[in-house]
Amino acid sequence: MANTFFQQVGYFWSAALIAASPTRLVVVALATILGIIVGAIPGLTATMALALLINITYTMELGSAVAFLLGVYVGAVMGGSYSAVMINIPGTPSSAATALDGFPLARRGEGGRAIATAVISSFFGSTFSIILLMFTTPFIYKIALRFGQWEYFLLAVFGIMICGNLSTDSTPIKGWIVGFLGFFTAMIGMDPVYAYPRYTFGSSNLMAGISLIPALIGVFGISEILSVLKEKVPYKIEGNIGKILPNKDIMKQIGHTCIRSGLIGAGIGAVPGAGEDIASWVSYDVAKRHNKHPETFGKGSYEGVASSETANNACVGGAMIPLLTLAVPGSPPSAMFLAAIWLHGIKPGPMLGFEHPDFLYLTSLTLFTATFFMLIFGLALVKPMVALLKINRKILMPIIVPLTVIGAYAGNVNVFDIYVMFVFGILGYILRQQHYSMAPLVLGIILGPSADIGFRQALMQGQGSIVPLLGRPVGIILSVVILFTIITGIRNSRRPVIIPEAEAAKE
Amino acid sequence: MSDKNKTAAGDFIMGVILDVFGVYLIISSLQMKIFKSFFDGPGFFPLILGIIFIVLGIMMTVTGVKTGGVTALQLSLKIEKIKAYFKNDEVIRVFILSGLMIVYIFGLVGKIDFTLATFLYLTATMFYLRSTKWWAILIISALAAILTSLVFKYAFKIPLP
Repeated sequence: MANTFFQQVGYFWSAALIAASPTRLVVVALATILGIIVGAIPGLTATMALALLINITYTMELGSAVAFLLGVYVGAVMGGSYSAVMINIPGTPSSAATALDGFPLARRGEGGRAIATAVISSFFGSTFSIILLMFTTPFIYKIALRFGQWEYFLLAVFGIMICGNLSTDSTPIKGWIVGFLGFFTAMIGMDPVYAYPRYTFGSSNLMAGISLIPALIGVFGISEILSVLKEKVPYKIEGNIGKILPNKDIMKQIGHTCIRSGLIGAGIGAVPGAGEDIASWVSYDVAKRHNKHPETFGKGSYEGVASSETANNACVGGAMIPLLTLAVPGSPPSAMFLAAIWLHGIKPGPMLGFEHPDFLYLTSLTLFTATFFMLIFGLALVKPMVALLKINRKILMPIIVPLTVIGAYAGNVNVFDIYVMFVFGILGYILRQQHYSMAPLVLGIILGPSADIGFRQALMQGQGSIVPLLGRPVGIILSVVILFTIITGIRNSRRPVIIPEAEAAKE
Repeated sequence: MSDKNKTAAGDFIMGVILDVFGVYLIISSLQMKIFKSFFDGPGFFPLILGIIFIVLGIMMTVTGVKTGGVTALQLSLKIEKIKAYFKNDEVIRVFILSGLMIVYIFGLVGKIDFTLATFLYLTATMFYLRSTKWWAILIISALAAILTSLVFKYAFKIPLP
C-alpha cells in the first residue's frame, strides 16, 4: 500500500517536472490565450478551436502537444463568455446559458464584472474537476481492468445511447441515428479481424478507412462556417463595461453556486459525449430552482452567470475521466484531444496506468496550469477582448476554410482526407438543420471499432451464445442501464423536448 | 412552411432513407465472406446495424406521419414551393458558399500552388459576401493566403497540399 503511494508520488513528481518546465509553461500560456481568443469569437467553438489547431501539434513532442491542446481547450470554453456577455451571442454553445444573465448585466453597465465572474467561476469549476480527475481516475482504472469484450461492446452502445439521449434538443432517436451512423462510418475500410474490405467500393483511399480528424474537422468546422455565414446577423456591442473585479458581495453570492455547479459539471463531463453545453444548461436550471430569488435569473443574476460558467469548465476535467480510463471522450472537444494523443502514440484505456503511469498527472497538472493562466489572462484581457469582438465575421469565416483544409490534409498528407472533410462538413450541415446533434456521430466513429470487435469476439468466445454475459456483473449493469436509457429515450421521443431558452440564446 | 412542418417532413424522409439504407446494409452484409463463422465474420456487425437502422427508420417514419410529415412533404413538392425554396436568401447563400468551397477543394487544392488557390478562394468568397471594400478584400486575401502558407510550412513544418 505504502509502496504504491510512494510510486504514485514519484509519477506525480516526474509529471510535475515536465509540466512546469519553462517551454511547457510558455506553450500553455500561449495556447490558453489563443483558446480564449478563438472561443470568444462567435461561431468558433472549443471543438472547432481544437480541430483547427490540432495540426500545429503534429510536429510537437508529446508534452508540448498535450500542453497546447489543453490550454486551447480550457481557454476556449471560458472564452465563449465574453461574447455571451457583451453581444448576447455565445462564443461557444456552452456559454449560451451565460448570455441569459450576462447580457442584461452588460446592459446595466456591469459587463466587466459579469465577465470577471465568468472567469473566476470557470477557474473554480476547472480546478474542482481537476482534483476529481486526479483522485477518481486510479479507481476507475482498476474497474476498467476487469472489462472484457462484452463490457467494451456494451460501453460503446451505452455511450451512443446516453449521448443520443442527452445531446439533442429534439427527440433522442435523432441522437441514436447519428451515433449509429458514426458506427457505420467506422466500419468503412478493412475489417480489423480478417482484413476484408467493407464498403470501400474498390477505392484504395477508402481501404484505409475514414480518418477521424478530417471527419471531425468537417462536422464541426465546415458545417459551422456554413451555419454562421448563411445568416446576416449584425450585432451591437455594449460600449461601457464598468468595473472589472467583482466585489465581496458578488463573491459571497456565487460561492454556493460554484460548488454545486462544479459537481454537476464534472459529473456531466464524465458521461460519454454529453459535453459542456448540457452541463451549463442543467447547472443553470438547478441553480435557478434552488435560488431564493429565482425571478432574478434571466434579468442579470451573477449566480446565473456563475452556474453556467462553473459547470462548462468543470466539464473539461470531468470529460478526461472516461477518456483516460476507457478511451471514451466525455465531450466533443475531448474527442479531438483523444485523436491528437493517439497520433502521439498514447493509447488511453485501463492499460494507460501501466504503460504511461505519469500521463494522468501530466494531464491534470497541465490542465491546472492552463486553468491558472486562464484566470490571469481572462481577467487581464477583458478590454482587448471586447475590442476584438468587433471583428467582421464575413472576413474571418472564409479565412478559416484554408485552415480546415490544412488540418485535414496534414495528418496523413493525403488530399483524399480533404474530400472526406468536405463531405462530412456538408453532411453535418444538413443534419444540423434537421436538429441532429453532432456529438453522437463523433462518439460513434471513435467507439465503432471497439463495438464491432468486442461484439464479434464476445460471441465467438461464447460460441454464438449471449449466456456468458449473465456471469459478468459489470456487463449486466451496463445492459440494464442501456435498456433503461432506451425506454426513457423512446418515452421522451413521444413528447419532443425543445429548450426554448437555448434556442432563444442561440438566436 | 413552418419549422414544425419542415421537421416533420424531414423526419419522414429520414425514416424512409434509413429503411432503405438498413435493407442495403443487410443485403451487403449477407454477401460478405464468411471465415470461421458468421458471428466473427466481417458481415455480422453491418447486419446488426442494418436491423437497427430499419427499426430507427420505422420509428422516424411513424413520427413523421403522426406529425403531418406526409402532408408537409406533399406541400413542399409543389412547384411554387420549390421555386420559393431556391429563391430563399439563406439557401442561395449556402449553395454559393458550398460551390466556392467545392471549386477550391476539388478544383484548385493539390492542382495549383496552395497559396494561389487560397488567394483565389478568399477573394471570390469575400467578394460574394461583400465583406469589405474591394481593395481591402484583395489585400486581406493576399495577406491571409501568404501568411497561412508561410506559418504552416516554415514555422510549424507542416506540408501543404
